[in-house]
Order: sequence, then C-alpha cells, then structure tokens
Amino acid sequence: MSAAGGSVFGGKTFCVIPAYNEAANIAMVISQVKPLVDQVVVVDDGSADRTYELAKASGAAALRHLINRGQGAALRTGTAYCLNQGAEIIVHFDADGQFLAQDIKKILAPLLTGDAAAVFGSRFLSEGGPAMPWLKKYLIMPLARAANKIFFNVDLTDPQSGFRAMTAQAAETISWRQDRMAHCSEIMFAVKKNDLKTKEVPIQVVYRSFGLNLLDGFKILKDLFIALMSS
Amino acid sequence: MLQQIVALIIIAWFLSRLWWQRRKNYISASEFLFWLIFWLLAALLIIGLKFIDRLVAGLGFSGSGIEVLLYLSVALLFYLVFRLRLRLEKIEKDMTKLVEHIALKDR
Repeated sequence: MSAAGGSVFGGKTFCVIPAYNEAANIAMVISQVKPLVDQVVVVDDGSADRTYELAKASGAAALRHLINRGQGAALRTGTAYCLNQGAEIIVHFDADGQFLAQDIKKILAPLLTGDAAAVFGSRFLSEGGPAMPWLKKYLIMPLARAANKIFFNVDLTDPQSGFRAMTAQAAETISWRQDRMAHCSEIMFAVKKNDLKTKEVPIQVVYRSFGLNLLDGFKILKDLFIALMSS
Repeated sequence: MLQQIVALIIIAWFLSRLWWQRRKNYISASEFLFWLIFWLLAALLIIGLKFIDRLVAGLGFSGSGIEVLLYLSVALLFYLVFRLRLRLEKIEKDMTKLVEHIALKDR
C-alpha cells in the first residue's frame, strides 16, 4: 500500500462505484478501495438516503444523478468523468460491499503487464467455484451464460460480472447504451466486437442478498431485445 | 342492423369529441387528422359489413366479417403498443442523457 494512499500499481487508476441507497455500506467500501487507487468516483444514482453526502465526506469524488437511471447509466457517467480527469485505468466496482477490495490488485495486473485491455472478474474461476446460492449457480448463471453465447458470441465464465477494469483507451472505444442490468452483457459484447484483448481473473464475492433472480434475467433479455429493435 | 346503428352513434360521439378537442387546440392538426381518418374508416367498415362478410368468405376465412375485423384490430393494437414501447425507450434514453449531463456539469 502506498503511504500517500494513491495507486500502488502505477498509471492513474480511477475506481467508479455506482451507488443507489447504499448509505449503510458506501463509507466502508470507499475506505477499502481508496488505498488501492488514485481516485474513487462514486455516482449516486438518485438515492433517497445520504449516500451522496457520505461518499463526499469519505473523500470520494461524488457525482449525483437527480433521478434513478440504473447501474449502467451511473457507470457511464462515472466512466465519462474518469476520462475527463485523465484516468489511465478505470475500475468498475459495486457499492454493496459484496466484492473484496483486495481483488482490485488481481484485476489490474493483466492491464499493467499489457496482457489485456479489459479484465473481467469471474466468480467461477475462484478455487472451489463461487459460494453463491444454489439456484443462481446451477440455473440462472448457466442460462445467462448461454444467452451471452447465443446472442453476443461472448463466452466468458461469469456472464454478469460487475467487477471489471479497462484501460482508458478501451473505455473510449467501447460504449454501452443499456441503463440498467443489461449493461454487463453489452460491455462484454462491446469489448469482443472491438477486438480488445480480454482476460478473466478469479474474484471472491461475499453474498449478502440473492441479487439478480430469474425474472431479472428475463428483464435483461427484454431490454436487449427492445434496444435491438429501437436501434 | 340495430348493433350497426349503436356503433355508428358511438363513432359519431367520438367524432364530435374530436372536433371539440381540435377547436380547443387540445390536439395538433396531424393528430386530429389521424383520428378523423381512423373513426371514418371504422364507420365505413361498419356500414359495409355485409360486403366485408362476402369479402372474408371469398378470401377463405371461416369467421364472419366482424370477427376478422376484431382479429385485425387486436393485431393492430399489439403493433401500436410495441411502437409505444419503442417511443418510451427513446424518451428514457433522452432522460438518461440529461441526467448524466447534469451530473457531470454539476461536479
């Protein structure tokens, strides 16, 4: 860990954390992530609680959506901010405290060695597989993986990983239109479409809630279909 | 015959409402024209129901004219709902653009 509290990895590393009603976790998450990156950027996605104020008080660059627009939109705002501020590497992280901040080291490593332009965290590559709810592990995730393969020709092991990092160049190259949960698949597809060097690294997730369920999976497919029809 | 008269009275009422809304400037000229054509066409189809019966029988449909019209209306409604969904999607996207712009500007 650097004494100055900045990135220990070289390059100007920014971490974007989209947050919606995360007052209970945001300060803790920022305090864990902050020593590992140069700048933490929290995008408060129209929270009704004190997420924005707490993020600001914790030393993050806090941006605020006036109304809730979804995680994909918040990540887009945060990523645009990072690029404006001259970030060289951008990490996407969750605000609910389910990801381990220490895994940022793992996710940044292939970017720093030049082995990849975009790195995705995978819960399925960790030793012994992911400690996730049974239904999710054996039904929802395989279905999501199949959907990614069929519709996007994406064959990454974790179809809905929200923990990723990319170079600024990669972030400028790709774009995603999905405001809500479908952005995960769309980002993977954009990375593949632009032929960017990709790597997956194992990450740990501490489950506090079930997260996306089967119905959410259908919503993602519906959103992608509507986007396809309206494009 | 009685059903046709009732249907025509209902259409006449809708047309009068349409005329009133246009006069009060509640709807645009293009919107007025769309609904005017829509209701006049509906009236025309009701008046020519016998002809439509013969037409759909000639085309090989087993149902009566009014049934075929109903099926077509449902299909049209599905299409309109889908169009509406796409329009809504565009509004949502525009709204997000504004929210993102304000968030970056306010920072």
